[in-house]
Amino acid sequence: MYQSKLTIRYLTSRFIPLIAVAAVALCVALVIVVVSVMTGFLNMVQSSGRTLMGDVVVTYGLSGVPHYERLMDTLISHESVAAVTPIVDGWGLLRMPYPDRDAKQSETVQVWGIDPHSFPEVTQFAESLQWKTVSENQRDWILIDAIQEHEHDVLTQLNEEDREFVIEHVNNAARTLNFEPVGLYDTIRNKLPEEDWAYILALDSRLTQDGDVLAQGLSLERNGKPAIVSGLHVSEGNERQEDGSYQVIRNDYWWLPRYSGTLTMLPVDAQGGIIEPESIVMPFANEFMSGVYIIDDTRIFVPLHVAQQLLHLDEAEIVDEDDPTEVVGVDPARVTSVLVRGEEGVDTNELRANVQSSYLKFYDEMPIGTFVMPPPLGDPGLVIQTWEDQQRSFTGPVEKERELMRTLFSIIYLVVAALILSIFWSIVFEKTKDIGILRSIGASRISVVWVFLQFALVIGVAGATLGTLLGWLITTNINAIHEALGNPPISIAIVAIILGCLTIAWMIKRSRTGDFLPIVLGTLGTILFACIALVVFDIRAMGGLVIWDASVYYFSHIPNDVDWNAAIVTSIGAVVFCLIGAAIPSAKAADIDPVKALRHE
Amino acid sequence: MSDAILLQGCDLRKTYVLGRAEVPVLHGASISVEEGSWVSILGSSGSGKSTLLHLLGGLDRPDADSGQVLYRGQSVWEQSQRAINVYRNNDIGFVFQFYHLLPELTVLENASLPAMIGETNESGLERAETLLTQFGLGHRLHHKPRELSGGERQRTAIARALVNEPSMLLADEPTGNLDEETGGEILGVLKELHQDGLAIVMVTHDPSIAAQGTETVHLRRGLIE
Repeated sequence: MYQSKLTIRYLTSRFIPLIAVAAVALCVALVIVVVSVMTGFLNMVQSSGRTLMGDVVVTYGLSGVPHYERLMDTLISHESVAAVTPIVDGWGLLRMPYPDRDAKQSETVQVWGIDPHSFPEVTQFAESLQWKTVSENQRDWILIDAIQEHEHDVLTQLNEEDREFVIEHVNNAARTLNFEPVGLYDTIRNKLPEEDWAYILALDSRLTQDGDVLAQGLSLERNGKPAIVSGLHVSEGNERQEDGSYQVIRNDYWWLPRYSGTLTMLPVDAQGGIIEPESIVMPFANEFMSGVYIIDDTRIFVPLHVAQQLLHLDEAEIVDEDDPTEVVGVDPARVTSVLVRGEEGVDTNELRANVQSSYLKFYDEMPIGTFVMPPPLGDPGLVIQTWEDQQRSFTGPVEKERELMRTLFSIIYLVVAALILSIFWSIVFEKTKDIGILRSIGASRISVVWVFLQFALVIGVAGATLGTLLGWLITTNINAIHEALGNPPISIAIVAIILGCLTIAWMIKRSRTGDFLPIVLGTLGTILFACIALVVFDIRAMGGLVIWDASVYYFSHIPNDVDWNAAIVTSIGAVVFCLIGAAIPSAKAADIDPVKALRHE
Repeated sequence: MSDAILLQGCDLRKTYVLGRAEVPVLHGASISVEEGSWVSILGSSGSGKSTLLHLLGGLDRPDADSGQVLYRGQSVWEQSQRAINVYRNNDIGFVFQFYHLLPELTVLENASLPAMIGETNESGLERAETLLTQFGLGHRLHHKPRELSGGERQRTAIARALVNEPSMLLADEPTGNLDEETGGEILGVLKELHQDGLAIVMVTHDPSIAAQGTETVHLRRGLIE
């Protein structure tokens, strides 16, 4: 009974418990933030791998697997396989539409030829597409492009007055839309007769169907032509915003689905020699974001048949070496990989074993006399791997890093424990005389220790709760914090300067009494605020500071999910350390003879 | 006044160890306190008066080869720790020269603390309030010790010592930290308590204060004379 009253009084009448709560909270928050980010990083690496490549991958290098459709039929017939999709994987050069001048920029890209029907069944391709609908600006750009592209037809269609109106407004919009919305779509719709307007709308389906841009991305076709879906970072026109979303620079001028690109690939013959490069001009249909920077920066998707043609992996006739006019057989179309997604709940290693046995079955069941046989299972080039194995080279170092961090953090846990212990030691040491008083009026040792255990429990629980809250706030907003730290607003420097001036004024006022403490506090405060202002100016002078470089860490944003397991363990640990920290010195103090404790100063 | 012996210290010895040196303080002091008596222990500074009082009050343990402290005929230090706690809480009340109040608690809470420890909280609170009012602190119940004068603090300490209705008050230089007038007030309070039948053992170095008691013993060279 008296312990509770005393605990409350100790907590409310002194400053040091607040410091203890703050120390515990900061320690808990620190551990939660770091462990959450590291765990999130690893999870992102692992899950993104799975998202992009299904559960098991069958790969056969550059030569590709022939009869892959038969292989896929065999694979899908197994009960543990939910979906399969073929892939043609190669590298190419993509000529981008920018800059405006003639010398266009080229990007080295990893080209994935995919089957638009089966690919979304194995991967989360549909979810990764960036443009679900077109914005007002994008629609206006499409309208400008459509009218300019079909200028002659459109102008012929219109009467004299409408023609001049359209020419004037389209030309104006093409200049102005770079800087501000112009509302061209509505302007022209309101002006033109319904029939003429319908004619213009028919030029690009995205003008009438908002979601067509998504459908075009999914089908890898734009207005009936094979099209490219490229990673969001392939184009330099996409700019990451502070909230993590992306905007296209120059008011959507550089919105990639407006343009076409020229893709050049180098086909390789059976011996690995390079054949004549193949090029194709294709429109962009959409863009995707997997969240893995290296993929979003380099990968593009094209229709499977296009990639097969560019890499000479499509069906071809085999001619007699001595008489090239005589066709002796057919070399079937090939794919470099087949991605497999398992049924829900099927272990990936078990799935890999099933895929291996299916592959054996596929090989064994090939008709006698097949002209081009698929590679046998033991062929060195043929690899059947789980997504984890495939990603191992990537995830392995991250796992090692996380273990290293955990080891380092177990040391930090000890530091936290020592800090809490020392705080409580000083609190209990200061209260030794109280312990003597309590003992002299009949309080038992255990009841005295219980006062401090309650005290520690309240501080521990309050600190752990605040720390968890703080950790959650920092972790969930870590990208915004990162942005703010990397490019701090000038207002922070101004506020710091004002606070610094106020601190100096306070110091001068208080130091008139002759006290030394205000001088020390004032000097430290002034230095602190000056440092903050200097750092802000310095970072701004450098043009911003990138702490989390997406090109280094592979992901475009810092993982911001709280690792609640770590949070709970850390919070419980902090409370336990508080209890230990209080129990040892208070038990020691309770063991002192009351008389000695009473003499304690 | 009853002649029954309430508290007895027999052949009490106490040696302090200061670093490597052993400093004997009590060499076999013996003292008897009868019920309702007021025994003043008079001695110079460093003579061991407070040490003797601490041994009698169960706050400090005599040397191993020492005699005993008997309360109502029972050896205090041969009892369990729990029984010693009850003895400190219930049977005696201690008044210190430097008051020893808990700074975070109010006057009323300080005075009722032994009752809270002894788990007689509600009656203890009432009794503490009555005692404090009786000692002229009715208007100070919810003040913190730092807001009180020395005399008021000592009266709070006396109220605390009496809240569990002990049969004996052990007072260690109760006026030693007070001016003459305030000290006189405290002695007045003790006198009233003694007149009500409370046994008091008071330690002092001042013969005039010692003279307030019914019996005065001298402590010299660690022995009662």
